[in-house]
Amino acid sequence: MSQAKLNKILLYSLVAVCALWLIIPFTMAILWSLVDPTKPWTADKLLPPVMSFYRWQYLWENSSLQQAMINSYTLAPTAAVLALVLATPTAFAFGRLSFPGKSVAQTLALLPLIVPGFVTAVFFTAFLFRLGFAHWRFGGIVLAHCVLFMPFAVRIMTVSFETVRQDHIDAARDLGASTCQRWKVAYLPALKPGVFASLLIVFIYSIEEFAVAFILGSPDFVTIPTLLFSQMGQDFVRPNAAVLSLILVVPNVFLMLGLEKLMRSANPALASGKG
Amino acid sequence: MDWRKSAQVVLLLLPGLGLILAMIGSVLYIAVAQSFGYYNLTGESGFSVEFWESMLDRKIYNRSWRYSLYIGFFSAIISVALAYPLAIWLRRPFAGSDVIGALLKAPLLVHGLVAAFLFINVVSYNGIFNQFMQGIGLWDGPRRLQNDQNGFGVLILQVWKQMPFALLIMIGSVQAISDDVLDAARDLGAGAFTRFRRIIAPLSLSAMQAALVIIFMGAVADFSFQVIAGPTNRQSLAQLMVFFKENGQWNDAAVVGVTLMVLALLCAGLLALTARIIVYGRIR
Repeated sequence: MSQAKLNKILLYSLVAVCALWLIIPFTMAILWSLVDPTKPWTADKLLPPVMSFYRWQYLWENSSLQQAMINSYTLAPTAAVLALVLATPTAFAFGRLSFPGKSVAQTLALLPLIVPGFVTAVFFTAFLFRLGFAHWRFGGIVLAHCVLFMPFAVRIMTVSFETVRQDHIDAARDLGASTCQRWKVAYLPALKPGVFASLLIVFIYSIEEFAVAFILGSPDFVTIPTLLFSQMGQDFVRPNAAVLSLILVVPNVFLMLGLEKLMRSANPALASGKG
Repeated sequence: MDWRKSAQVVLLLLPGLGLILAMIGSVLYIAVAQSFGYYNLTGESGFSVEFWESMLDRKIYNRSWRYSLYIGFFSAIISVALAYPLAIWLRRPFAGSDVIGALLKAPLLVHGLVAAFLFINVVSYNGIFNQFMQGIGLWDGPRRLQNDQNGFGVLILQVWKQMPFALLIMIGSVQAISDDVLDAARDLGAGAFTRFRRIIAPLSLSAMQAALVIIFMGAVADFSFQVIAGPTNRQSLAQLMVFFKENGQWNDAAVVGVTLMVLALLCAGLLALTARIIVYGRIR
C-alpha cells in the first residue's frame, strides 16, 4: 500500500474518531441546553421532543449567572492588566540586560506553574487568613490570578523585548529622540503583539481558573467555572450545566484562536503558548 | 557589574519575580509550617509531628496518594504513547494534515469542567453510549459507567485533555529529525520499530520527558475530573486536601498538600529519569 493511500485511510479514520470525540459530545451539550422543561428528553427519544431557549432565559434571570459573568469578566481584565504591568519590568531585565544568575531567575519565575493549583489556592487562602484579609475575595483572587499566570506574561514579554532591534534604538537616539520617543518608535512596534498576547493569555486563563476562585471565593463570590461546578454537584440539572458549559467554552474558543494568531505574529516559536 | 546596575536589575525584578517569590514562597512556607503544627488557625500553634504521624496511619490518606499516583502515571504514559505515533505521522505535511492537527488540538481549547460535563453526558446511565450499546445488541440494559471504581473515566478525561498537549510538545522535536538520518537507517535495514527506538526516541527524548513531567504533575494534582467523574470510594490528594480544609482541619490539609507537592516533584523526576534509562539503556 502506498504512503499516500495509507495517509488517506488514516486521515479518514482519525477524522471519524475526532468527530465522535468532539462533535457528538458538543451536539449533546447543545441539545441538552435546548430541552424544554414541559417535555423531558427521555432515553427512548433520539432528539428532545420540545426545544426552546427556556433554560438559557431561566438561568439568566434566576441564577447567579449574571453575577458570575460580571465577576469573571471583571476579574480577568484586571488580572491581565496587573500581570502585564508587573511582568514588564522583569521581562525587560530578562530580555535586554545581562546579569549574573539570570537563568536561575528565569527558572524561578516559572514557580507558579510548578506548584499544584489547589495547593496554591488552599494555602494562599490560609495566608490571607493570617493577614486578616480572608474576606477580601475580589482582591485576593485578582492577586492570585496575577501571580499564577504572570510566568506567561513574563515569558512572552521577554521574547518581545529580545526582538527589539538595537540598531533601531541607536538610530532613534542618534536622531535626537528622547527616552520616551525612543520607546514609542523603537520598542512599542516590536512589543505590541507581545502586549496583546500577554493580556489575552492571562485573560483566558483567569476566566477559566477554578481552584483559587473555588477555594477563596466560595460560597459568596461566584465565577463561571465555580457556578458550573456547583451545577454539576449535588444539584446536578443537566440542561442547566449544558447552558453554563457552552457559555464557558464558546467565547474562549474564539479568544484562543485570536491568541494563536497573535502568538504567531509575536514569535513563531511561541505559537499555541508553548514556546 | 557596579552597584548602580545591580540596583537597577533588582528594582526591575522586584514587581514581577519579587512578587512571585513572595507569594509562592509564602504559600510553600505556610503549607510546610502548618503541617508541623505552626500557624494553627483554630487552636494552639507550636512544633509538632503529630499531624504527620496520625495522617501516615490513616487508610484514607494512603489510599489517596496511591490513587493520585496511579492517575498521574497512567495519564502521562497513555497520553505520550498516543501522541508519539501521531507526531511521527504528522512529521511531514500532507493533504489534510492541517485539518488533523486542528482536530487533535481542539480539546486544548475546552475547559476541564466542560470536558467533564461532556464526558458524563455521554457515559451517563441514560446517555448516548449506553443507548448505542443497547441499540447494537451488545448490552441487554443500561450499565453504570459514571464514577467507575477503577478511575477509567478520569483517565479518559485526562488523556482527552492532555494528549493534544503532549502532541504539541513532541511534534516539534520529531519534525526536527532530519530525513537523511532516517533514510540512512532504513537503507541499513532498520525496521520501523528499530528506527523509532534507535533514532526517533533518543532525538526527541527531551520533549518526551517534558510532556511526561507536565502531564504527570497536572494529573497527580487533579481535583475537578476526580470529583465529577472519579470513583466515589476514593479521593485524590487534592480532593482530600480540600475536604480537610472545608472541615477546618488546616494542619491535616497541609500534610496532604505537602505530600502532594513532594510526590509530584519526586515522581515527575523519577518518571523523566526512567524514560531516559529506557531510551538510552543507562543514565547519562
